[in-house]
Amino acid sequence: MNRQLFQYHPSIGYKFISNLKTRIQHETGGYLVRTNNWGFRSEIDFNKTKDPAKKRVCIFGDSFTAGDGVSNKFRFSDVIEQSIPGIEVYNFGLPGSGTDQQFLLFQEFGKDVECDLVILVVLVENIRRIKSHYRYYFNEAGEKVIYQKPYFDIKDGKLELFNNPVESQPLKLEDLPESEKEKVDTGGRFGMARSIVNALGLKELTQKITKYQPVPEYNAANTPEWLVMQGIIKEWSSMVNTKFLVVPLPLYQFIEETSDPKSYQARFHELHGELGIDVFDPLDDLLKYTMEERRNFRHKTDVHPTPEGHKAIAKSLVPEIQGLIK
Amino acid sequence: MSQDRYILGISAYYHDSAAAIIKNGEIIAAAQEERFSRVKHDPRFPVNAINYCLEEAFIEPSDIDAVVFYDHPVLTYDRIIKNCASVGASSASTFNSATKSILGIKLWVDRHVMKTIGTLGKLGKIVFAGHHLSHAASSFYPSPFTEAAIVSVDGVGEWSTTTIGHGKDNSIELLKEINYPNSLGLLYSAFTYYCGFKVNSGEYKLMGLAPYGKPIYADKIYQHLIDVKEDGSYRLDMSYFGYMDTGKTTNQKFHDLFGAPPRLPESVITKKEMDLAASIQHVTEEIFIKIARHAQKLTGSKNLCLSGGVALNCVANGKLLREKIFDNIWIQPAAGDAGGALGACYVGEHLYFKGARIPANGKPDLQMGTYLGPRYNDSEIEAFLDRNKYVYHKYDDAQKNQFLASEINKGKIVGFFAGRMEFGPRSLGARSIIGDARNSEMQSKMNLKIKYRESFRPFAPAVLREDVNKYFDLDGDSPYMLIVAPVSDAIRKPVTIDENWDGEDMIPVINQVRSELPAITHVDYSARIQTVHQDTNPQFHNLLKAFRDLTGCSVMVNTSFNVRGEPIVCTPKDAYLCFMRTDIDILALENYILVKEEQPKFEEKENWQLKYELD
Repeated sequence: MNRQLFQYHPSIGYKFISNLKTRIQHETGGYLVRTNNWGFRSEIDFNKTKDPAKKRVCIFGDSFTAGDGVSNKFRFSDVIEQSIPGIEVYNFGLPGSGTDQQFLLFQEFGKDVECDLVILVVLVENIRRIKSHYRYYFNEAGEKVIYQKPYFDIKDGKLELFNNPVESQPLKLEDLPESEKEKVDTGGRFGMARSIVNALGLKELTQKITKYQPVPEYNAANTPEWLVMQGIIKEWSSMVNTKFLVVPLPLYQFIEETSDPKSYQARFHELHGELGIDVFDPLDDLLKYTMEERRNFRHKTDVHPTPEGHKAIAKSLVPEIQGLIK
Repeated sequence: MSQDRYILGISAYYHDSAAAIIKNGEIIAAAQEERFSRVKHDPRFPVNAINYCLEEAFIEPSDIDAVVFYDHPVLTYDRIIKNCASVGASSASTFNSATKSILGIKLWVDRHVMKTIGTLGKLGKIVFAGHHLSHAASSFYPSPFTEAAIVSVDGVGEWSTTTIGHGKDNSIELLKEINYPNSLGLLYSAFTYYCGFKVNSGEYKLMGLAPYGKPIYADKIYQHLIDVKEDGSYRLDMSYFGYMDTGKTTNQKFHDLFGAPPRLPESVITKKEMDLAASIQHVTEEIFIKIARHAQKLTGSKNLCLSGGVALNCVANGKLLREKIFDNIWIQPAAGDAGGALGACYVGEHLYFKGARIPANGKPDLQMGTYLGPRYNDSEIEAFLDRNKYVYHKYDDAQKNQFLASEINKGKIVGFFAGRMEFGPRSLGARSIIGDARNSEMQSKMNLKIKYRESFRPFAPAVLREDVNKYFDLDGDSPYMLIVAPVSDAIRKPVTIDENWDGEDMIPVINQVRSELPAITHVDYSARIQTVHQDTNPQFHNLLKAFRDLTGCSVMVNTSFNVRGEPIVCTPKDAYLCFMRTDIDILALENYILVKEEQPKFEEKENWQLKYELD
């Protein structure tokens, strides 16, 4: 990597460096990344004040929203902007972040931005990130290092923030207290088994046979992780003074039907029913495509959406957004 | 759909791979792969340089109209087969290795391009430009001339080693060529190897060594090694050279001619090497001038464009300039194979697509000072420094220039990192190490404690363009450090030659103060000059002005920002590492100033001195 992409941020942990113009090498050859004055992937600078002649939509999420693996213009946020006349879409996506960090990012950068709709895109895997206190990263030397991340817990029914401000320097796993070592997000379940299966090229087959459930944290309405997720979304919703939409974005296992989505769908359905928060689930729309088309929604090895994947997500979201902002 | 025409040019597989991109005939970016891979003269397919070109142009690969390769691998293979057939069984190893290389890699350029960017461009195929046509294009099209003679001289490309051409508007006609195995470049390289330096990078050292010696072997070279005609055409006596059959540039007969085996690398340099260097330099200059005269005769032009590795011989360039065969000379700053990437772009634009040329419109040229590489903005630099907890001071432009000028005046050495990185082998004030040219200890300090290189090697001056004739006998531009000119009489100082000097120990000679600018005055009172221009590098120009305001002197030492064997730094991280590994006192990353004493303790896991192969 020729350029550093992220900089330390005391509240969120990190954010994109502002005013970057770079191309990231990737299995597709590479993709273009431009960040704006506030340090978000965008072709335009952000302003708090809105052009009265336009509708503005602000989207928050992780790398699937930020657009890892594709150039800015191919992301679903940008495709939505191209599809609906008279709107501008601000993409606040931050790769590697959990819903907790996205909520902090909203408070830091998005709260005072005039807009007509706030969309929180929850890659359903993000629930795993909100339970972690640390994440692994690979530094420039290719070494695995651990960085602290902020996280929330529920205390007396209220959200409480920890690791804030975040330690700026990397930590060593061996220096962490035993109780904290298990709070390091290693990127998924069954780390060692996953490595072996992946190395053997049996990932998809194994997941299908074992009916792999990538996010068991949704299995019940009272798992600690879901309670935190629910708490964050509830508080976020209360801070938004315009329309607020939550979009659970399915992992490829759900799109390609190797895993059962019922658990997470149930949780987000409850969110709508119990808290009155608008939820739009795009999975049904995505399942209308042929299996071959759906496989092309992600890259060959990188699970992030391809331009075709982004286009399909945008196509699903456009009518919902049009309905909410009209 | 975009109406702009983008052409990606690539040079690779031989020496110093590079990529370049132009848009409607205008240069957008160009860079050598070595700067990203950190492997000096990296010959591999320039994946990182291509990525950078697309980054700078900020386009998708599907927007590229054509991908042009600077060479024609099939013709190169043809030459190798015929070479081996003519030499016979002794060339078997050359044939085998070249065949593996060519068939294994070079014929699969399209596959490499597909793998790297996923497309062959809108054209759907690679355009193979031809080696010397790429060189010619790299010097003519960015030049300010609408018409010019074009001379390209290098080791070998496909069959050609020397070509004369004529450029007019958007066309180039190659008029004459000298073919392999006769090669002025390979002759020079043979002496480079024989004198104990590395071929393809040590030629510069040989040129720097030449003024210490006398050309006493010139006649021997003419008598035995090369037959030169008045029109500059020449033939080598191949019985003295090994490159056709053994892969080595010289053979036993060559060694016998000069009475000894080649000097071992890193061993003591003796008077013999100095005289050999002076001799081959003298011969090269004479042939170069004859070729240029013939080119003028063939074309009738007043303008000359130069390229090819031999065009980096700035001593010969300076002599050529003073011969006044041409009114104007323009030299491609990336004259070697890297520049072929840029030439390939132009071949695509003007010869394949027949695009009209962009007029220079009063600009000195279209090369933009050759600042064609990556830039790092303040946010990126600050993020890098903060993440690593490096100590810095952020100044505005005026504060920075005053501080640096003052520190340089005190004898401090500065790593200067500003704006877009240079394309080509020279540092020109974007990635430079700079110091006070008036300081008599600067040359030895920079050579031994910063660059870790041979003490005889001279340093180059960077001088405000408007003040150049105060210090040097040069009445013109030399923005690319490709012209050597004498230091003016007004600032020279007499030297005393010890009558007992045995000609072997160079140190007393090196340490003599020859002018008011001892750090940049070579033993023969010459200097390899960079004129610094406000329009192409305002940051460096402003620093020189601040130094002039403080000291009355508008000259600084300017050497490449690297250590021996290391590619010139590209990123803030590369610059910081070089700063901490050497005796550089201050690092200026744009307007972020770092002082050595204030930095946290520097530790490295690996021994960087083992990392870089000596050049």
